[in-house]
Amino acid sequence: MNDKNNKELKYVGKNVVRKDGKEKVTGAAIYIDDIDFGPNTLYAAIVESPHAYAKINSIDATEAEKIPGVVKVVMGKQFPYRFGLYMHDRYIFAQDRVRFVGEQVAAVIARDPRIAKRAAKLVKVDYTVLKPILDVKEALGVGSENNAEAGIPKELVHPELKDYQHVPWFFPKDNTNIAHFRKIRNGDLEAGFKDADFVFEDNYVVPRYAHCAIEIHGAVGKLDHSGRLTVWTSSQSPHTQRHLFTQALAPLGFTHNDIRVISPYVGGGFGGKAGVSMEILAAALATTVPGHPVKVLWSREQEFYNTYQRQGVHAKIKVGVKKDGTITALEQLLYWDAGAYVEYGANVVNAAGLSATGPYHIPNVKIDSVCVYTNLPPGGPYRGFGYSEFLFGLESHMDEIAKKLGMDAVEFRLKNAVREGDKLAYGAKMNPNGLIEAISKVREEIKWDEIDKADPSRPHIAKGKGFALFWKAPAMPPNSSSSCFLKFNEDASVNLLISAQEIGQGYHTVMAQIAAEILQIPPEKIRSELPDTDRNPYEWQTVASHITWSCGNAVKNAAIDAREQIFDVVERALGKKREALYLEDECVKSTEEVAWSVPLKNFIIDGFMMKDGTWRGGPIIGRGTFMPEFASALSDPETGVGGKPNVHYTVGAAAVTIEVDRETGKIKIPKAVLAVDCGKALNPDLVRGQITGGLLQGIATVLYEDMRFNELGKLMNANFTDYKIPTALDVPEEIVPIIIETAQPDGPFGARGVGEHTMIPVAPMIGNAVKNALCVRVKSMPITAEKIVMALQEKNKEENKEKI
Amino acid sequence: MSAIVSEFEYFKPKTLSVVFELMTKLQDYVFLAGGTDLICHLKEDIVRPTNIIDIKEIDELKKINLTDDYLTLGSLVTFSQIIEHESLKTCFPLLVEASMTVASGAVRNRATMVGNICSAVPCLDSGAPLMVYEAEVVVKSSKAERIVPIHEWFLGPRKTALQKGEIVVALRMKNLSSKQGGVYVKLGRYTGEDLAQASVAVLKLTQNEYRVSFGSLSPTPLRAKKIEAHLKGKVLDNKLIEEVKALVEKEITPITDIRATKEYRLHMAKVMMERALKASTERLEGLGPKLGTALI
Amino acid sequence: MKKKEITITLNGENRTFEFEPNLTLADALRDRVGLKSLKCGCERGDCGSCTIFFDGRSVKSCLILAVEADGHEVTTLEGLMIKGKLTPIQKSTLKHNAFQCGFCAPGMIIAATELIRKNPNPHKEEVCEAIAGNLCRCTGYSPIVDAILDYKNFEGKE
Repeated sequence: MNDKNNKELKYVGKNVVRKDGKEKVTGAAIYIDDIDFGPNTLYAAIVESPHAYAKINSIDATEAEKIPGVVKVVMGKQFPYRFGLYMHDRYIFAQDRVRFVGEQVAAVIARDPRIAKRAAKLVKVDYTVLKPILDVKEALGVGSENNAEAGIPKELVHPELKDYQHVPWFFPKDNTNIAHFRKIRNGDLEAGFKDADFVFEDNYVVPRYAHCAIEIHGAVGKLDHSGRLTVWTSSQSPHTQRHLFTQALAPLGFTHNDIRVISPYVGGGFGGKAGVSMEILAAALATTVPGHPVKVLWSREQEFYNTYQRQGVHAKIKVGVKKDGTITALEQLLYWDAGAYVEYGANVVNAAGLSATGPYHIPNVKIDSVCVYTNLPPGGPYRGFGYSEFLFGLESHMDEIAKKLGMDAVEFRLKNAVREGDKLAYGAKMNPNGLIEAISKVREEIKWDEIDKADPSRPHIAKGKGFALFWKAPAMPPNSSSSCFLKFNEDASVNLLISAQEIGQGYHTVMAQIAAEILQIPPEKIRSELPDTDRNPYEWQTVASHITWSCGNAVKNAAIDAREQIFDVVERALGKKREALYLEDECVKSTEEVAWSVPLKNFIIDGFMMKDGTWRGGPIIGRGTFMPEFASALSDPETGVGGKPNVHYTVGAAAVTIEVDRETGKIKIPKAVLAVDCGKALNPDLVRGQITGGLLQGIATVLYEDMRFNELGKLMNANFTDYKIPTALDVPEEIVPIIIETAQPDGPFGARGVGEHTMIPVAPMIGNAVKNALCVRVKSMPITAEKIVMALQEKNKEENKEKI
Repeated sequence: MSAIVSEFEYFKPKTLSVVFELMTKLQDYVFLAGGTDLICHLKEDIVRPTNIIDIKEIDELKKINLTDDYLTLGSLVTFSQIIEHESLKTCFPLLVEASMTVASGAVRNRATMVGNICSAVPCLDSGAPLMVYEAEVVVKSSKAERIVPIHEWFLGPRKTALQKGEIVVALRMKNLSSKQGGVYVKLGRYTGEDLAQASVAVLKLTQNEYRVSFGSLSPTPLRAKKIEAHLKGKVLDNKLIEEVKALVEKEITPITDIRATKEYRLHMAKVMMERALKASTERLEGLGPKLGTALI
Repeated sequence: MKKKEITITLNGENRTFEFEPNLTLADALRDRVGLKSLKCGCERGDCGSCTIFFDGRSVKSCLILAVEADGHEVTTLEGLMIKGKLTPIQKSTLKHNAFQCGFCAPGMIIAATELIRKNPNPHKEEVCEAIAGNLCRCTGYSPIVDAILDYKNFEGKE
């Protein structure tokens, strides 16, 4: 096998123009709401709970059913089934009780969406309203301050918790609102703190956030008269969706073979279109009107309150350090507001718990990462998967410690940064990584060691710099896998059949580049086909920043498989020496015969005709799969140690300069720098795209996005008017993306993922810059202009008190 | 899918006289101009009109008429048209500066200033500038025309002095012949579009005479008479600014809502007051920040 | 509710339709006419993905009733491409990777096109202002701004 070394790559590492580009810039790309299903299509509107916590007494649909054009009103009780990705705690429709404002209770199916919407308002539901649990501390109960398990809650959001099936690495606590308790115990915490010269403790709060993909969720289900259920969804996870639909509808007799999931282009996912949230409704409702496509399209409001949200977390962090800055011990208590259903969100809590040390070498660790039920929308996967949430507190805290020690914040981080081979808190070893390189490149680019002079003409502007490290590993089951069928066409063009999804990251293009490199066919002649579970082979989900690595390996394996078959048939039919064969310029060539070559298109479908008129070969079809066989989620429930739950970490560093107006609290960002170690940038432009996009999404969470629930658990700002995501006017003046390449040994051409990581350091980096500029530490997100002004006023009050 | 559930009849009269006929015949109706408010409310099912009268065909309502004495803005004049007008920047800069802060370009291409004052939402952008320009609302019914001074127009949140059977046909205001410097400052949560959490319009004329109006800091836009009296005739210096800042809380009644707390609004009103006074003074001298520059 | 017959000059062609008054222009164009480039992302005119040209000006079609378009010119992204050829803005967008999921791209391109028609040599602040009504969650905007600033390099090219 002739594996070329990275220096000679022809397609990988190049800024190949995106394959989905023309469709997208012409408006021809098809998304879920663009597919026409014909005049037979029916539309569903959902009857939702106005209460955060209530018993359902009765549902009366008589008025609704009278409306002309209403085909059916489906009651929740028709689907009394539970399902879930990691834990079966979620209902298709609420049964006896509703657990969050907006939860689906019934549905109206009608011939026109306006009729459905009108009729849904006429469905009368009688509730007995219960007092909702809206706060993690209340959910944990009295006595839970320093030990979540010790709390005794007044009310249980899920009284049947102990009956719920779940993955073996979750540890729910009966008779509590704790759906999962991830414990990490490593070393000797007490000794670690004794050994420290200083111990610093503090609390940080991160609220919930919304994904705000510009495309809303949508799904269309059709049960045809052969008994097959096809569901079209805007989804990051067609195969996992099929699996969950099967699980949820199994009581109706459905098996995997009966269900097909097709996903067109997705207009932004960010984790929100992973798993199954509202899509189950299209699948279930379709079964009530066989022969009709049933379309369920969310409004922007529903997008906010009835799809996954990023969970909120209360963090208590205690760190022991020596005078010289060496960290000796870390204790983190992370109490997560995970919402009404945690079938997916509990794994966020798990992932965060495993890695809440951050990218540091810490010998003595205690982490409690607790997934707590509340009567708020279900928490779930969101870009960063728990890491942005805990890193805000951790990187803010590290910065505080450095200041208190009188140490430079970057020096402190360099001293304690994790290195390759270091033992992690759960026992596994740290992979090769360019963290030190990232830190020093960012430090240089932001001119960390220079202090920006104040501008006398703008006396109310304070300048500051902030730094943060980040890391993240894909959080997924140990047997998450990818697979690829690679088929040729007569002109030696290629179709890659893969079920990872193009959600904007450019993955179709990168997969084509990988196949192109192996087969030496230009990426322009390689198509990646959108997922269809009937046709494209299995992919777990397009999440976790793992597709470049996992599906990339599957594609590479499929291309190698195809290449081997090509060499096989050339050897067999033409008698060429196999060891000398190689691919170049869409031909097979031989190192032994410089003048000879045979174009792939001559035989790739037809094969070779022998002298006697018989043929050899036939269509070449490559097959590749990838599943890491070294990952394991088995661990001791009391210590978290054992197994290798995280396949590898992507690391990096980021820094920012800010200008804060002391009078208004408003922040401008002259420069942001972010370095991420992607192992190998298969398409550097696309990596840079993730950096600029992720950076702004991170800035949005720390400066602008501000979710507000009222005292009854209703989301008050379920729209873009009052939940502010940045516009083109809110972008930093200069963004410097830095690509670090410390190869991932088991990655395709050395690559590992970066999709989520570029958002993770941003909130603490800005919090640190605010502290640097104003000497004020804001310990809760978002750090709005208003909060800054109030914090400055508080600070002035304290200082005036001291003076008196 | 952006579904409007309610059903209604739609009319598009070409003249005002047809409008009045329709108003008499239909009794229950709403007017449709730019639609950026109404269509939204229809979708949220906040309003359920039986009839919609689209007035956009009525040519006489589309005119901007600027003479030496008066500016008349027809009720169909959009924010974009105000911004693009060649002379309004010089004669009525606050109208232009406020218009520039409304939503985004595609909304400004449809939304009208008259529509804005008819909505009378407390956070409206047109209120404070129109107050300092002492504008008048020209209202017509089938029988008569009447003029409502802008300070009598806003009766409360979403309540105006428009009576049944009436339609606003124009805004008009005197063309200030003297030198002027003015500024419209708006508080949003970031640089991108936002509804005002607070706004202030300051118009400085010669002889240290000021007109000051606050928006989004009370149920309706208001003229800050106490502040104006205190400023009158005095040269602007830091001491005067501090005194005026102390008067701010006597003029406004900010509330706490999901957009901002009353404490922050009050604080910002003072900051905005100070910056507006300084900028207006500079602009009066032909200096100062370019029109549309954010001061906060 | 009476349907109304209306005539629109749609992408350069005179078309006659019958629409109910409570149908938005966005829904009419997408669901009745089949022009899918414009999208519906928020229903309130906040996200800009429904942006099209109405009498040559960019508008949010989700805030307009279809019947209001009677007698007017409506142009969607489909109509900007003469005989299917990409405009310089579109070519620049491709080259600069000024899109990711693509959902905001049609509205963004309309807004950018309006800008360069009025102002063929915009600077960065003017570009940001022109697209400020179009929300993008993926790119962070800077590649979009770069693409618009660079459009002249794609004029007259195939």
